[in-house]
Amino acid sequence: MRPDKRNTNDIRVTHTALGQLHRADGSGRYQFGDSSVLCGIYGPAAIGLRDEKLDRAVIEVSFSAAHGKSTTRERLHERLLRSTFETAILSALHPRTGIRITCQTLCDDGAVLATSINATMLALMDAGIPLRSVITAVSCMVDKEGEVFLDPTALELKEAQSTHTFAFDNVSGGVVSCESTGVFTEEEYESCYDICKQGSDAIERFLRHALQKKLEKQSGLDFGKS
Amino acid sequence: MVRETEPIANNERAFVKNVILEGLRVDNRSAHDVRTVKINFGSQWGHSEVQLGKTRVAATVSCEMVRPSPAQPTEGIIQFSTEFSPMASPSIESGRLSEEEVLISRLLEKALKRSRAIDTEGLCIVAGEKVWAVRVDIRVLDHNGNVLDCACIAAVAALQHFRRPDVTVVGEEVTIHSLDERSPIPLSIFHIPICVTFAFFSNGERQVVDPSLLEEQIQEGDMTFVINIHRELCTLSKAGGIPIEGSQILHCANIAAIKAAEITELIKAANMESQTRKEKKKESKRE
Repeated sequence: MRPDKRNTNDIRVTHTALGQLHRADGSGRYQFGDSSVLCGIYGPAAIGLRDEKLDRAVIEVSFSAAHGKSTTRERLHERLLRSTFETAILSALHPRTGIRITCQTLCDDGAVLATSINATMLALMDAGIPLRSVITAVSCMVDKEGEVFLDPTALELKEAQSTHTFAFDNVSGGVVSCESTGVFTEEEYESCYDICKQGSDAIERFLRHALQKKLEKQSGLDFGKS
Repeated sequence: MVRETEPIANNERAFVKNVILEGLRVDNRSAHDVRTVKINFGSQWGHSEVQLGKTRVAATVSCEMVRPSPAQPTEGIIQFSTEFSPMASPSIESGRLSEEEVLISRLLEKALKRSRAIDTEGLCIVAGEKVWAVRVDIRVLDHNGNVLDCACIAAVAALQHFRRPDVTVVGEEVTIHSLDERSPIPLSIFHIPICVTFAFFSNGERQVVDPSLLEEQIQEGDMTFVINIHRELCTLSKAGGIPIEGSQILHCANIAAIKAAEITELIKAANMESQTRKEKKKESKRE
């Protein structure tokens, strides 16, 4: 039994919001329980001559934590986010431009990386940037007894032997990026993969629903239930 | 990104100015109306998100135990850090401080720290050994004019919402009780300073409260009052712009006092609502 009465393969209550920012070209907010990340996107827009690439759009990511000075952990998250979304964005359609992604953690209660990947995905969809596929992420942890828990909170993470974050692609169904820390066996890693795969399917439905609701509101049409 | 704030057409400039001369405003407010204030609190202590019209600022308060400075062994430490997130506006680049950012963070620090709004002596645990260091992180998320007033509301709301863990001191030993173990303690706040910004037009003849981004770009000068509910002026800032007569400053100060009282009530109401919601949640958890 978990402290918040969830099953081991349950994700926390999820909340999504699209287009809350007025200045940004696209924005998304994603919440896993108390963990919440806001993402804003500008672009594709002109960038400095020195930075532009002739054959594709340059993707710039900045990530900041909920409080405190920025550390190497934030730089690592930026790198992970950039390489994850470089595979999803059809950047060749907008050569010599830049797409700027900014993630701001509002509340940190574990699984911030997965939350920010999902928030960025929402923002990209809101900004209308051409994508190859939809990417969804979820984390899990393995405790000292070898039991796997999906979407751990900060409290649960204190007991973690290893933590894993997987980002899945909805077209091929494969893993786009994964980050693991701690000590774990091959079997544990495989069970983490399975449990995260199930979780990510649920998240994909959430994202689809959020976008559908927004489009229905904008167009006044009913797209039916998916 | 190269994209700067878009230049405003001469026609639009003239339109905004004429409208203000007639005592109206482009966004259908009257000269002394503040945009709608929305205050949201996070599920954790000391987290607020405030919308002033389309401007949005988030503030987070955190604390840790540190050794006090030798000069003030019985006083806790309060730190403010204001950052413009690159999502706030296309002209903001991460890692590079803009002039506006410096100006706003300095003014906020003056308004909240130098006015001694928060009791720093109450943050002392063991004199000369251990004190609380409270950190307020203010992040501007959406820049649509008058960031300062919005940031001030966010910071004040977060500070009022914040609870620090309880501690017991037995001899030399200090025990920190977790938030579930003992009910956490709010900061003791002496008074609530509120920023009210005015923008001046047509040689100082007209003034408007809470300028929007468009008005900010066209204004001929601005002035910020930091004032509390007791009508005490904490900070007054007029950094350049057109010269203003003394009587007009007094007139503005009176308006600022009324606006500050209104905003203080709004923050109080939002805080009460969040408190009752939290208690309800706790009760339902127990069941």
